Amino acid sequence: MYSLILKDINIKMKLERKKQQKSKMHKIHNFGTPESSKKFLGVFELSQSRKGQVQMTETIAVLFIFFILIVFGISLFYQYSKSSFQAQQEELLGKKAIEITLKTLFIPELMCTKGDAEAEDNCFDMMKVRHAVDVFGENNLTYFDTFSFSKISLSEIYPGNETYVLYDFPKNDWENTEKTFFIIAMKDEVKGEGQPYFGIGRLDIEVYS
Amino acid sequence: MKFNKFGQMEIIGLVVIVILISLGMLFMAVFALSSDTSKKTFTRKGLAASTVSGILKLNVGKECLGQGSPQLGGDILEDCAMYFDFKEDSSSSIYQCRGKHSCVFFRALSYEILNGTLGAQEKKYEFTARLIEQKGATPKDLIEIIKNKGGCPKAAITNQDSSKPFPLQTNAGLVEVELKICD
Repeated sequence: MYSLILKDINIKMKLERKKQQKSKMHKIHNFGTPESSKKFLGVFELSQSRKGQVQMTETIAVLFIFFILIVFGISLFYQYSKSSFQAQQEELLGKKAIEITLKTLFIPELMCTKGDAEAEDNCFDMMKVRHAVDVFGENNLTYFDTFSFSKISLSEIYPGNETYVLYDFPKNDWENTEKTFFIIAMKDEVKGEGQPYFGIGRLDIEVYS
Repeated sequence: MKFNKFGQMEIIGLVVIVILISLGMLFMAVFALSSDTSKKTFTRKGLAASTVSGILKLNVGKECLGQGSPQLGGDILEDCAMYFDFKEDSSSSIYQCRGKHSCVFFRALSYEILNGTLGAQEKKYEFTARLIEQKGATPKDLIEIIKNKGGCPKAAITNQDSSKPFPLQTNAGLVEVELKICD
């Protein structure tokens, strides 16, 4: 009987030792008590999910910045192309204005001539100019091919101050205009005594687009 | 290995962002530089040449009463060159337009015309008339240089055009008239 009781005590002690050893092992591996190990596992699970959240936020932030950059790039490109288009339009209008000015300067209906000799550069014959006002006015459509949508006027600077509107064909819904001017000699055969009389004037050209 | 690949991906992303930002900057720079395109609507050279040609051809009969209809270039300027040394005496020149010496009158009328045309358009210009008495001699200024807005700086070669000297042979020597227009 006594031996049986001793055996039972021995077994209990062994179990107790095993328990103690197990708890020691937990402490060695920093697991602490079984309760604390449960807590640690919980934190580990929590940190895992938080890491995922951080990664998600990071991805969203990167995508956000990327799209902002794309929008920024597109808007810049749009502005650039818009301004370059406008610049091109203005350049074309400027070219057109120069073209019309040159056509006006060298049109036989206005240019100074000396019989069969070469025509005089940068000079308008005032006798022709006085008639051209009526001719251009009556045949606006005929001269449209040459002068397009524009206004051409000649203002005398010296000796008088008369203004002649040679051609006026404005565009109804014009968006832009380009003005150019040129200084020219105005030869008047009527005023001179045997010799042509020269005045000076400004040729103004306004082109519509 | 997996962590290493993730790091590489992040670096590539950063590089892409840097490239995009630099491209944007480049666009902005190009945009800013090309926005101010000054409109050169007409060749300054042609304008300068036509203005000088117009001034020299001008008849000034109404200013010189009883003296016919002299030309500003051919008659008045020649007279100015001939009697340049007696400029102080207004009655020394043949032509007495507005009661002035021909050199003074030439300058006054040229100034009026230039001021009413190029000056009204806010253009910078410089108008000179020089006399070269002999070959190799230093040119003399027949008139005080007419300038608008400070004239054209000598150092500037770009944005400046000249009519090229208009030569006029006189008994006093060669007269050269030049108009420079600059922006």
